[in-house]
Amino acid sequence: MVDPVPPRVSAAAFHMALAEFRKAVGQEWVFTDEDDRASYLDPFAIGDASEHASAGAVAPGTVDQLRSVMEAANRHKIPVWPVSMGKNFAYGTAAPKLKNSVVLDLKRMNRVLEVNERLGYAVVEPGVSFFALKEELERRGSKLWMSGPSHSWGSVIGNALEHGVGYTPYGTHAEAICGMEVMLADGSLVRTGLGAVQNTQEWQCYKWPFGPNWDGLFTQSNFAVVTKMGIWLMPEPAGMAGVAISIARRDQLPALIDVLQRLRLDDTINAPYTLTNAWRQLTSGRRRPDVYTGPGAIPRETVESVLSAAGSGWWNVIFNLFDRPAALDLRLAAITEEFSTHLPDARIKIQRWKRGDPQQPWMRQDVGLAPLAIVDWAGGRGGHTDLGPIVAPVGERVEQVYAAVEARFLAFGMDPWIGMFGIGNRALIMVADLIYNRDDADMVARCRELFRTLCDELAGMGIALYRSHITFMDDVVKMHAWGDHALPRLNNRLKDMLDPTGILAPGKQGIGSERP
Amino acid sequence: MNVPTKALLCTLPLAIGTLALGAVPAHPQRSEQQVFRASCAYCHDAGGWGTRTLARRVPAGEAELLKRKNLPADYTRFVVRRGVGAMPPLTPTDVTDEELERMARWLDQKN
Repeated sequence: MVDPVPPRVSAAAFHMALAEFRKAVGQEWVFTDEDDRASYLDPFAIGDASEHASAGAVAPGTVDQLRSVMEAANRHKIPVWPVSMGKNFAYGTAAPKLKNSVVLDLKRMNRVLEVNERLGYAVVEPGVSFFALKEELERRGSKLWMSGPSHSWGSVIGNALEHGVGYTPYGTHAEAICGMEVMLADGSLVRTGLGAVQNTQEWQCYKWPFGPNWDGLFTQSNFAVVTKMGIWLMPEPAGMAGVAISIARRDQLPALIDVLQRLRLDDTINAPYTLTNAWRQLTSGRRRPDVYTGPGAIPRETVESVLSAAGSGWWNVIFNLFDRPAALDLRLAAITEEFSTHLPDARIKIQRWKRGDPQQPWMRQDVGLAPLAIVDWAGGRGGHTDLGPIVAPVGERVEQVYAAVEARFLAFGMDPWIGMFGIGNRALIMVADLIYNRDDADMVARCRELFRTLCDELAGMGIALYRSHITFMDDVVKMHAWGDHALPRLNNRLKDMLDPTGILAPGKQGIGSERP
Repeated sequence: MNVPTKALLCTLPLAIGTLALGAVPAHPQRSEQQVFRASCAYCHDAGGWGTRTLARRVPAGEAELLKRKNLPADYTRFVVRRGVGAMPPLTPTDVTDEELERMARWLDQKN
């Protein structure tokens, strides 16, 4: 078998680049053999994983080594695909958008550079996972809490850059970013925000310096490699309340959304909520064949009878409140009153915690990988990705989008496994998971078609997505069509200027897909 | 979680609390037990997702990898780099070839 070579690069140039990579990082941190390349394939690929295979990987351990790698990549026009921990499951994992790019694996840059107790932040490198940050906070006896996503294997930087979310008041992780050090494609290093000031002590304190705030430009983009990042951390709360609310009927969604939004807008609910539909509740502690073995999606009637037997409602909402115990009493009273007025049949369960008590699972402060288990739902070699429309949390708008997504999933024979996340005070991200059996080529093909069909349908409603798998990035960028695609065109102009050889993650988020 | 977090992060960096650049983070030599705890135990300990899946496929009492009687080193090497079922692969920056070799032999020979 012929070794792969990046597109539009000669084998000779690639070999020279690899030799320079080895010189930069050491022989043992450049990977080109078949087993190593296989380990960078997307295990949950929606189709043939080789469509996004890499031609190898290089793993610098320092900023200086990274600079040498970038300079060599530029000299030989080698496309590189930076990953932090490389655990972006459901969106491509570590695999590059452009086939036969070289994975730029930053996992060895794994220092927690600073934890500031008084100001509540950490400065980390890309290879710091949520496991590692939690461990470091515990080692220091820190009173700061991290906001983690559903699984902890990923990078703190990578997750924030990809607009990941968590379940604390800091749960919009991109909004907790404050100050970055980035390396541009030509190897030059820049510190954003107040990091541009010599001897600053304010780099992680304030996001709005003299001049533009660049941090956002380096999220979900390919304009630079982020080498350090400040992330705000929450002081340990004096108390928490965990609220679980069960709503009986499908048609109560608009009323439920409106109640939640009133409580979210004024911050009575001061962290993101998670709202799950009937199909998604079904997976809790069950295997699919125990519920349904017929063709297509599990029928709604089957879902309803299983949930009804288990005493579960059609919708389930969970969220946590963070405050002093007396203030939690006030928040809970307001929530109870709002529900009893507008959704009197809601069943509400409340749990409490105060500082000093042992932590409980409902607090979602544990690190772990348990949520990954859902990929087995469809049987065989499991895989999953998701379609994540950003929706205004207004009853009729959420109903419009939800109904369209649910109907399309059912029409394509896929279980509509849908969760909604009340992110920030004014948005809802609806995450519709496609969970497929990778051994079932027909199912995988249907999922690709379903995703693209819904992209068209949602764009028609004026809706776009919060992220996507590498397979769909060129489809999703087309949803941003206002002004003759003015924003994607601006991104491409910036890309041409910052990365004229087009080596840095070509095609990420649909930026620079057409290489110079 | 059942796994003590203390054991999990053996790759945790050394130069803590400094913004100094340029120092190469050492790659500490990890024992096979440390590698297992850091990279495998979250799914393959009692109650983990991997253990639950394997409970349907392997002899009774052997669902936890550490209790498997027959786990050839070649198989571990293959599965770690290629993944199996829904288990994602581990890259050579997660577990180096040398660490994988030692861990695979240890799992092969321990029971």
